[in-house]
Amino acid sequence: MKSYTETLYDSYGQEFAVDKVYFENKTDHQHLIIFENAKFGRVMALDGIIQTTEADEFIYHEMLTHVPLMAHGNVKRVLIIGGGDGGMLREVCKHSSVEHITQVEIDDQVVDMCKEYLPNHSGGAYEDPRVHIVIDDGANFVRECPEKYSEKFDVIISDSTDPIGPGDVLFTSDFYENCKKCLAENGILVTQNGVAYMQLDEVITTAKRLQPYFSDQSFYSAAVPTYIGGIMTFAWASDNSALRTVTTEIITQCFEAANIKTRYYNPAIHVASFALPQYILDALATKA
Amino acid sequence: MNRITVESTDKAEFYQQMVSQYGSPLLILDCDQLVKQFHALSGALPNIKLYYAIKALPHPAAIQTLDALGAGFDIATTGEIELLRTQGARARQTIHTHPIKRDDDIRNALRFGCTTFVIDNIWELEKFVDYRHRVGLLVRVSFPNPDTPIDLSRKFGCREDEASILIHKAQSLGLHVKGLSFHAGSQCPDSANHVHAIKQCTKIINDVFKNSGKLLSVLDIGGGFPVEYMKKTMDIESFCLPIREALKQLPEHIQIIAEPGRYLSAPAMKSVSSVMGKAKRGDTCWYYLDDGIYGSYSGQLFDHATYPLTIFSDIKETEQAVLAGPTCDSIDVISEQINIPPLSIGDIVVGHQMGAYTSATSTHFNLFDKAKIVVINQPVKSLENILQLNSKT
Repeated sequence: MKSYTETLYDSYGQEFAVDKVYFENKTDHQHLIIFENAKFGRVMALDGIIQTTEADEFIYHEMLTHVPLMAHGNVKRVLIIGGGDGGMLREVCKHSSVEHITQVEIDDQVVDMCKEYLPNHSGGAYEDPRVHIVIDDGANFVRECPEKYSEKFDVIISDSTDPIGPGDVLFTSDFYENCKKCLAENGILVTQNGVAYMQLDEVITTAKRLQPYFSDQSFYSAAVPTYIGGIMTFAWASDNSALRTVTTEIITQCFEAANIKTRYYNPAIHVASFALPQYILDALATKA
Repeated sequence: MNRITVESTDKAEFYQQMVSQYGSPLLILDCDQLVKQFHALSGALPNIKLYYAIKALPHPAAIQTLDALGAGFDIATTGEIELLRTQGARARQTIHTHPIKRDDDIRNALRFGCTTFVIDNIWELEKFVDYRHRVGLLVRVSFPNPDTPIDLSRKFGCREDEASILIHKAQSLGLHVKGLSFHAGSQCPDSANHVHAIKQCTKIINDVFKNSGKLLSVLDIGGGFPVEYMKKTMDIESFCLPIREALKQLPEHIQIIAEPGRYLSAPAMKSVSSVMGKAKRGDTCWYYLDDGIYGSYSGQLFDHATYPLTIFSDIKETEQAVLAGPTCDSIDVISEQINIPPLSIGDIVVGHQMGAYTSATSTHFNLFDKAKIVVINQPVKSLENILQLNSKT
């Protein structure tokens, strides 16, 4: 029986039975694999770290999409950094009020490969006429964006890989500063920020790096089974602190008006996800 | 001086056949011998996980053969990681043992999936703070060995009394030290230094637990297992017996690992070179081979090895001779002041025990091509094996 062992941590890890390998590439200084697992469906892993699975991706993608979009209440333009598997795009496209979506992916082959091997992630979203795909380094795009394009974004979603590896530039102060410049008034930046219990340093570092550019920054969370070790945190940054504390009633109104079908997200989860465990609050309090 | 065996010309048939098929010079890698070496060492060190030090012979066939036997791999650089990645070796079965690394080296190893690293000083320890939740560290302790050709405790390794300080410092930085490592030397004449090092490491492990409650769980006993070049060496069973005895003193929970390189690979490769020219200079006959000190015989310089050679002749008379390499440099001499039967242009010279630190350190000086490596007896990969390799990480 074949298996795939995640190698994120030295002393702890998860293992998947591999029923069938659909795709594997060990060249280009990285190891990418997509395989079938009985519990999680198609699983994609890069450099020994699980990136996404068909079975639990909805939690991650719904939370990075609907929380900022519902909190904002009037999102017209969305920027997705990364997200080559198309899952984020699929969720953003559910919002009929959104008029424009730019997705910046560093490698067009990732998009093609995911369309072929993880078709359920994008679910046809790449064909949506509101979608504009840019092949560029996300950090470079946000650096050049304010000069190149006059229109700003209401929400920026950073759907990056692990900070050790190709996604490292998406965790830098420069990146956060440039994202700020690309955001419209009341704009919100959200980013995947790792599993806090396992990587508390990442939460502290991100908080420190966001602070100079946003008057309100915090985290919200969800547990994604294959991002093991407890809750995953999502960084939240905006200059409008009220957006982080929108009431359940108002979110419910927005959610009903949007008429979106979800499997994890709902208004109660939305509000509750901003509650952070004490160990994270303590870490954030001592970060300076 | 190299030991030179003269065999009858009919014994050269296999090598001549290889040369006519693949050209000259050649290195012939025999995977069967690799398997035998692995089993011999595993037998002498039962329950000790072997991590092949791929620096000795970083060849895909060697990696595949040892991977199939369940060996792990000892890696030191990003280049070695790339080799393992392309060969489908499992990252969980690797340890990164270079005591000095750049940040990129650490990141590349982590991306590959290797999470065990070696440190021997405070500056190296501090490099891991950013990765502290991901890694497990081994502290390398120095046990100098003046009896070996290469003393691996000169350039690397902390003093015994520094080990517990580093472990304590690591704890305060939130880093996990999981054990100790040492290198008793390369090509050790006996295992006395291994035994000494194990004894001292046992003491460190016990003291650290007694003083701070910190549990260490791994002891890496390095390499140093000898192969026979010119001098008679101890057989592996006799060499390892005192090691096994010494290891009994360790707390029962300690996992022992080792990093053999030379012992596994050296006997698995032979060099085949050809006389490409000859000259009579005084009383001495000079034979210029198509491989030399800048090529496969680089180990005679870098590795302080002297390889046993075989020539093939049916002539009884001998004369004083020199076997030189092909390059323009005078240092490029493999063996001199030897007495051998006369050789003709095109005759073959075979070098033995040439799998470790030979092709690995050969150069392109004079833009001579390096010897081509020909693999024999490679285990045939069944379809199932290929699939398994593909799914490993």
